This record gives sequence, structure tokens and C-alpha cells, in this order.
Amino acid sequence: MSDATELLSEQWFTTRAWQPFPFQQEVWQAIGDGESGLLHATTGSGKTYAVWLGALNRFATKAPSPTATDKPAPLTVLWITPMRALAADTARALQAPLDDLGIGWSIGLRTGDTSGAERARQGRRLPSALVTTPESLTLLLTRADARQAFAGLRMLVVDEWHELLGNKRGVQLQLALARLRQWMPELIVWGLSATLGNQPHALDVLLHPGSGRLVQGKVDKDLRVDTLLPPSIERFPWAGHLGLRMLAQVVEEIDSAATTLVFTNTRSQSEIWYQALLDARPDWAGLIALHHGSLAREVRDWVELGLKQGALKAVLCTSSLDLGVDFLPVERVLQIGSPKGVARLMQRAGRSGHAPGRTSRVTLVPTHSVEVVEAAAAQVAIAERRIEARSAPHRPLDVLVQHLVSMALGGGFRPDELFAEVRQAWSYRELTDEHWQWALAFVRHGGHSLTAYPDYQRVEPDETGLWKVPSRRVALRHRMSIGTIVSDASLTVKFWAKGGSGRSLGSIEEGFIARLRPGDNFLFGGRLLELVRVENMTAYVSRATGKKAAVPRWNGGRMPLSSELADAVVEQLGAAAREQFTTPEMRLVEPLLRVQMGWSALPTETTLLAEVMKSREGWHLFLYPFAGRHVHLGLASLLAWRMGRHQPLTFSIAVNDYGFELLSATEVDWLRWLTPELFSENDLLHDVLASLNAGELARRRFREIARIAGLVFSGYPGAQKSARQLQASSGLFFDVFRQYDPANLLLTQAEEEVLRQELEVERLQQTLTRLQQRTLDIHQVKRTTPLAFPLMVERFRESMSSEKLADRIRRMVAELDKAAGPGGYQPQADASIAVERDTRPKRKPRATKDGTPRPKKARRATR
Amino acid sequence: MTSHLPIELEQTELWLLAEKAIYWPAQQALLIADIHFGKAAAYRRLGQPVPHGTTQANLQRLDALLARYPCKQLIFLGDFLHAPESQTPATLDQLHDWRATHAELTITLIRGNHDRRAGDPPTSLGMNVVPEPLLLGPFALQHEADPHPSHHVLAGHLHPAFRLNGRGRQNLRLPCFCIGDRLSLLPAFGSFTGTMTVTAEDRWQIYVVGDGEVWPLKRSAPIRPGICP
Repeated sequence: MSDATELLSEQWFTTRAWQPFPFQQEVWQAIGDGESGLLHATTGSGKTYAVWLGALNRFATKAPSPTATDKPAPLTVLWITPMRALAADTARALQAPLDDLGIGWSIGLRTGDTSGAERARQGRRLPSALVTTPESLTLLLTRADARQAFAGLRMLVVDEWHELLGNKRGVQLQLALARLRQWMPELIVWGLSATLGNQPHALDVLLHPGSGRLVQGKVDKDLRVDTLLPPSIERFPWAGHLGLRMLAQVVEEIDSAATTLVFTNTRSQSEIWYQALLDARPDWAGLIALHHGSLAREVRDWVELGLKQGALKAVLCTSSLDLGVDFLPVERVLQIGSPKGVARLMQRAGRSGHAPGRTSRVTLVPTHSVEVVEAAAAQVAIAERRIEARSAPHRPLDVLVQHLVSMALGGGFRPDELFAEVRQAWSYRELTDEHWQWALAFVRHGGHSLTAYPDYQRVEPDETGLWKVPSRRVALRHRMSIGTIVSDASLTVKFWAKGGSGRSLGSIEEGFIARLRPGDNFLFGGRLLELVRVENMTAYVSRATGKKAAVPRWNGGRMPLSSELADAVVEQLGAAAREQFTTPEMRLVEPLLRVQMGWSALPTETTLLAEVMKSREGWHLFLYPFAGRHVHLGLASLLAWRMGRHQPLTFSIAVNDYGFELLSATEVDWLRWLTPELFSENDLLHDVLASLNAGELARRRFREIARIAGLVFSGYPGAQKSARQLQASSGLFFDVFRQYDPANLLLTQAEEEVLRQELEVERLQQTLTRLQQRTLDIHQVKRTTPLAFPLMVERFRESMSSEKLADRIRRMVAELDKAAGPGGYQPQADASIAVERDTRPKRKPRATKDGTPRPKKARRATR
Repeated sequence: MTSHLPIELEQTELWLLAEKAIYWPAQQALLIADIHFGKAAAYRRLGQPVPHGTTQANLQRLDALLARYPCKQLIFLGDFLHAPESQTPATLDQLHDWRATHAELTITLIRGNHDRRAGDPPTSLGMNVVPEPLLLGPFALQHEADPHPSHHVLAGHLHPAFRLNGRGRQNLRLPCFCIGDRLSLLPAFGSFTGTMTVTAEDRWQIYVVGDGEVWPLKRSAPIRPGICP
């Protein structure tokens, strides 16, 4: 940088007549000095060019003549993006200054979508800058000539680092980074991150064991958060999966803006809303679109293009559009249902108002009453910038096991060297020799002891001590399973055409299709489809007519309400309990909160509300700690287990973000047992672990671990049936491991992850501490209160038992005998919808013309 | 703690065993479906670690049954070996050792879909291997649950399980016997096998298995012929 010529970055900004922001100049300066770092700025503020032009300043030169067709520079910059959907847009953004300045660099893409021809080309020579995902980067590292291919690498950029930081994909990237730094100690690494509560931690994890500069980008734009309130609250549901009562108002909002993004929390919800909007406004056909992760690539591309060109009026989307390039035409953002977290809401708000002179605006659309309170709380939390923190996972052994096999593929490894290298990754900085030896033994023998797993071979040391994968079949299987994103077995959805298959529409979970029979209708990708047949992991469909249709459910992780937002909600409720109804939101829900206060009470900052009730289903306890669904699950299991020490009981547990329910078929005297001892922090870890063993949670968490560690293989695409004979469910593996190899560390990890992630045991501990300072406000209620109602109708339940299995079977068999017919006892999902009924006046018995009761309508035979 | 439940089917007494097998006193025969020997070994061959011990556990459970019920013959209703990769020396050695302790026993295997891929077990195991159906008394012993024109079918293959629902929104999923009037199903015996949930159709008399007991579920409708599920 000693020569006097102007920096490339400045030249380019001059050609565009742009003025660089101070943070961009700071990053250019830092990269010029060879520094690494983290740049924190909101989307659309020029992060990309801060880092990219810094890289060009340092490593690129203008080609002597623009027509020269010399080979482009070797691979110099790696650009990691968390979503492959973003890769193409990123590549386009990176290309622009190269063209304008005549720099002889090539840009390439490498993701799961990259074509075979392009892969082959890259196999011969990698582009000067490669845009790729963490998974594809690891795959590149499994090439035998990886070190040579990466020899020219000087800089690595991680886009949207906040998206990777807290999960196992981030850990996978940490490991890849450790390897690259081993080869190139001078490697410059920059992370780009949006809204995050703990930037220094993000910097630490990325650059561990080194350090770097934290650059604060442009200050958050002004954010406007408002709420779409229903005109009256009377008919508004307490709980609802659809929340379609707001449809008319949502239509109006969409109508009033040029382009609107409508975010939902689940894919199912987006499908339902899309259909409802089309029904309401048939003239919007072709103007509104649907975008979620299970739709086919082409469909999503079309939607994204439409957004960029401003051709679409509205797009119903899920987190699939949280990230990525800006869609300038987007004017408004609507969030249907709970925003779940402050950072997430800010991110979504930031998708709007990119055109000059506009502010970002997000409008919350509550789908039930408590969400109106949440909306009020979210506004306070955002105004006070209470942003959530994210932490990197601690020592996930499944990712390590996968990494060992990957490295054995990539030219082999020597254990001592690799151990030192792995410990350079932040998540493994405290990896013990014991765990390392276990991981080595696991990939070699499959278990702890040398004789445990005969016939097993994944990685073997050769005569020189280099660990390699001897079997080509194992190598192929491993390459296909690299990655840490776990989803249920999914089927491709395709149109049925005579003599073959038609266009692909996307993918759908096997579990959902298994419940349908040919001829059944379902909604997918905004279409009404009829299932024709299922074969070879493909669901063939045709267009359907009619009204009745199932809506697919995808078992994606349900995000818990963040502590920050939950606390803000309790503050709102506490204020309401003190008769303060200041905001329009709170004034709207006032009548309902008064019902809750009349029947029971409101939770506040200083009380813990508990409600006890008996119904025909059994004995209920409702408790409202407002700590997010994960913590509630842990707390519910803990209480159930501690209760089980007093008397053998079986509980069915329902949780949501506000509280949980413990339901028992046999009598429990909660008024007597619900004491502060049940919430004691003593023996917390022991008790939570014991409650885990009695429940199903660890088993479910094992699913992900089994996939990542290579226990369960999700199959080759289009594999023959016989391949399925070699697939087993992770649940089965879990049972076999627990019975025959209980010391297996993957089981231990399943437990640890349940503790850390599913139950958030640290947050659980904090919650217990806080709960102990609150007074227990226990109410015996006669009917389901407004707060209890959503829990009462929750279908997805955990169970926890301290009874003998035989006793449980005996009781259920006896109940089955009592219930007429072999269909079995049907639990009544709508057992007590008393709340809604009570708000309506009682209907008089209908009088017929002649005063006699009407004959029963002839019902169609159901069988 | 272990018990059995005698039932009468086609004027023949059969005992449903809590160990997920059927004992036929008149024939002194033990019927076992879907034992899937060598399944764990097949996985290990493919580079998927599975702990050791499933084969041994299966054999011990067989031993216990053979000791408790006087048996002249042992009949496997298919899926004896899981896959070609199951024919490993370790697994076969265990099977040979076990066979030697029951030298006098007549063992018959009715080939199932897995056996057709895995190949017959070595002749040194001294087993009669026959295609389905094997007609014995009033029964057609088969692997797959296809109806037979003249005989009542006893079959495996489907690994049936039943979900019990109870008050307080509780439920339990347990392996089960499905007894129909022309076709009946045995649960899978193997300790490393999954299950498939059957729905409560009135054509089945369901007997769930759990905690060392066999539990009949009451039913009101008459048995109708049917194909599961």
C-alpha cells in the first residue's frame, strides 16, 4: 500500500459517485494492515463492500489491459454465506466492482445447487473468489488436493455470522477455519453480523485463538413498530393456530402499500394465509406469492426475482426471507403472530424501507389475545434495544466425529496434529484428551473399547500412522451426509404425469404424507393438490378441486420466546394488574385481562401464578413463569419428577411460551404439594437428568446427533428399496445404545444438548432463582382461564411417568374397555372450550314451526 | 414375572407369549417372527456404529423360552438374517454355538423378504429352509401377511404395534399380536427391530405386550376377515 495511487475502493466509489461511510474506511484500513475483525451493521448498509473492497485493495491489481485474457488470479478470497439462496446474489454483488475496475478476478459459486459441470471446472481450478456455504467448504476440504487448491487463499469472509454463531453449522465452520489457519497462519478473517446482543463473543469465537477489531457499522435505521389491532376484542380468540380473524385488515394493509412482505412463524401458517388471501382477493392471483424453505428452488427464485422487480404485491414467507439481499421495492413488513425475539423482529423490520428517505416499518398482526400484549411488550423492548445474545455451542462431539471422518477423507490426518488443530476452534478450546481419544476410537471401532464393534470400519490408520477412510462406499456415504442441518425424512412432491413424472414442486415430510391416503387433498406451495401415489421417496400429486384439504406440518424447531421479550410481556401484565392500561394494545385487551383477574389473577413481576383445576380429563396444574417454551419444558419435567417422588404418577405435559400444564389421570393434591421445595435449586442437575431419563426428550434430541455423527444415513437420492432395509430410525439406535453401550458419549451428548438447548438449563436455573423470589399465587379455578386455555388445547405433549408400566397399561386397557367400540378412548381435544362459550350469550332452544323437535338430519354413512 | 395367554384359534390352542412369540402346545412348537439376526453387523459393515450384544440378547431370550416350554420344533416366520452383510463370522459363530446347545431341536425357516436378499443361513446350522406358506395343522405359516385360500395365516413381516390412549391424554405404544379370523400377525421378536403402528380396526383382536405380560384389548365387534393394516 506504499504506492501513491488511489485505492481501488476509492476509485470505485468515485466512479459510482458514492461517499464511503467512516466504518467502510475503517474496515479498508484494518484489512490494509492485515487485521481480522467483525463488522456489525444492519442489512443494506454497505457491509459487503466494506469487506470486499478491502480485500481488493489488498490483494487485487488492475489488469494491465482490460482485454487481456490471462488466467484469473488463483483462489484468494472465500466468502461464506449461511444460505445457498444468498450465494448467487452475493456473487453478483462481488462481480460489480471487478467489471467496473477491470480486475482480472473470477467469481465462483459452490453450494449444494452447483451443477456437475461447474464442479468439474472448479475441480481443475478454483475461481479467485469463491462464494460457498459451511457445508460445501467442508466438502472442499475433503478433496485429497485441498491444501494445494487453497494455497493462494488470503482472506475469508463470513457473511451473516450471527446466523451461524449459535449453532452447529457455526461449529463446523470453526473447524474448517482451524484447518485453513493451520495452512495459512496469516489468513485474514472477517465476520459480518447484524443485530446481536453480544458482539465481543461473536468476535472471539470467529477469531479464536487470535483477536481482531470490532467495527461498528452504520447505526440502526429508525425502526417503526406498530400493531394491527382488531376493531373489537369480543370475538377474538384466546388461542388460535390460524389467526385468520385479522384477514380483512391484513388485506387492507397489503392493498395500501406497493409491496409487502408478510412473515409467518411456520411454513404451515404461510400456506394457510396465502390461501386465505387468495380467497379474499381472487384478483391478486399472480400478484401474491409464497416463499418457504420446502418449496422447489425454481419457485423460490421466481418469487425473489418478482420481489426485486417490484412485480409482486405481497409475499407470504417464513424465515427463508429473513436474510439476504435487499428487495428495494419492499415498503411494508407484516409479522403474523408472535415476533418471538427482539433481534428477529428488528431483522425482519429491516427488510423494508430501503429506498432513500424511508424508514423501516414492521406491523405486528396478533393472532390471539396474549399476542396483543406481546405486541405492546415488543415495542417497549425494541425502543429500549433489549437485544438477545447468542452463544456458540460447547464441544459438540457429533460435529467432531463428523469432522474426523471428513479430515480422514481429505488426505488423511495424524491424530496429534489434528488434536492441536481442533483445539484452535473456540468450541473445542477445552477439549480433553479423554474426549479426543473417545472420538478417535469411535470413528475407528465405533465405540470405547477395542473389541466392542466387530466388522466396523470407518477410519483406519495406515502403516505410517496416517488415518484414512479405507472403504469407497463409506467415503461416498460420508460425503453425502456432511452437514449439521437435520430434517425429517422428506419426500419430493411432483406432478403425476402419464408414463413418468412431471414438474417438481418441493419437498414434504414423510410423516405428513404417511397420514394421507391416495385421493386425499392437501395444500402445498399455495396449490390444492391431490395425492396420487407415493413411490421411491416421491409423492406424486395432481391438481385438485374442492375445499377440504389438509395443511402440512413441518417439524421445524419451534422457536421459544426470548427472555428479553418474555420479561417485557410480564411487565405489561404487571402494569395491568396495577390497573395501568396505557397503550392502545393494552386498552384493547383490558376486558379479557379483567376476566383473567376475576377468575384467577394476572402474573406479575413479583408473583408466580398457579391455577389448579379438575376436569373430566383429570387433574390439571397450570403454571405461568413466562420463561419461554424450552425452559417451561425443563421446569415441567422437573416438577413432575419431583412430584413423582411423593407418589407414583403419570403426567402429560403441555408447554407454550407463557407457561405449562401438568395433567394427571389420577388425583394430585397440588394445594398441598406445590411448595417452594418443588422449585428448589438443590440437586437441580441431578433431578433434571433423572427427569430426562423418565421422558422422551433425550431420545428425540438423539435424532439430530445420530444423523450428524453418521449413525443414521438418510439415503441416496432415488435409492432402491433394498437401501431402505439398511435404514433404521434413530429412536431404535437410541434404545440399542442405551441398552448395550450406556457409556457411549453420544448419549451423554444427547443429554447435554437437551439440557443446554432443549431445556436451556442455565436459563432454567436463573428462572428458578427468580421464581423463588416471587410469591406463589395459587388459585383453584372452576373453568379454564384465558391464560390456561391455549395450554389445554395444545395437542403436542410430552409425558413423564414414575408409575410401573404394568399399572399404566392396566389403567388404559380398562379405560379402553369402558369406552364403547374398538376405536379406543378418544381424548377430547375440545374438552373445555368454556372460555369462548362463556363470552357468548346462551342460545335459546330453537323453536320449529309446529313446535315439535326437528327430526334428526340423515347423516351420511362414515364408513 | 413372565406370563403367557392361551387363546383358541381354529379349534387349536395357542399361547401368546409376553416375549413376543407363539407357543403351540399340541405341536410343541415355538413360532418366532422377524428375529433379524446380524442387523447390527450389517450396519457396522456400512460404517455405522451399533453396539455389540443384540445377537446375544436374542439368543438368550430364545434360550429362556426353550427352557420354559417343551419344544420339539422352532419355526421362524421369515427374516432370520437381516442382510447379506449379516453373514459375518462373528454372527454365524454365535449362531453355531447356540445351535450346538440345542442339537435335537428341529428348526425351520420360512423365507421372508430379508432372507431372499441375505441368502439362506449356512447348511451347517441344520435348518430346514422352505418357501412360504408352510402348512401345519389348520394354519398356513408365512412371512408376509397375504391371505391363504384354505388355511388361517400366521405371519410376521409387519412388526405390529398398537397405541393405547388413556385419560389425562396419556398414550403408550406397545408391540402387539393382531388376531383375525383368517389372518393373524405376530410381533417382531428381534431386539433391534422397529415397529409399525396398526390402527384399531374391528377386524383385529389386539393383544398388546408390555412389562412381561400379554394384555387382551376388549372389543365389541365381531371378527371380520381383513388384511392388515
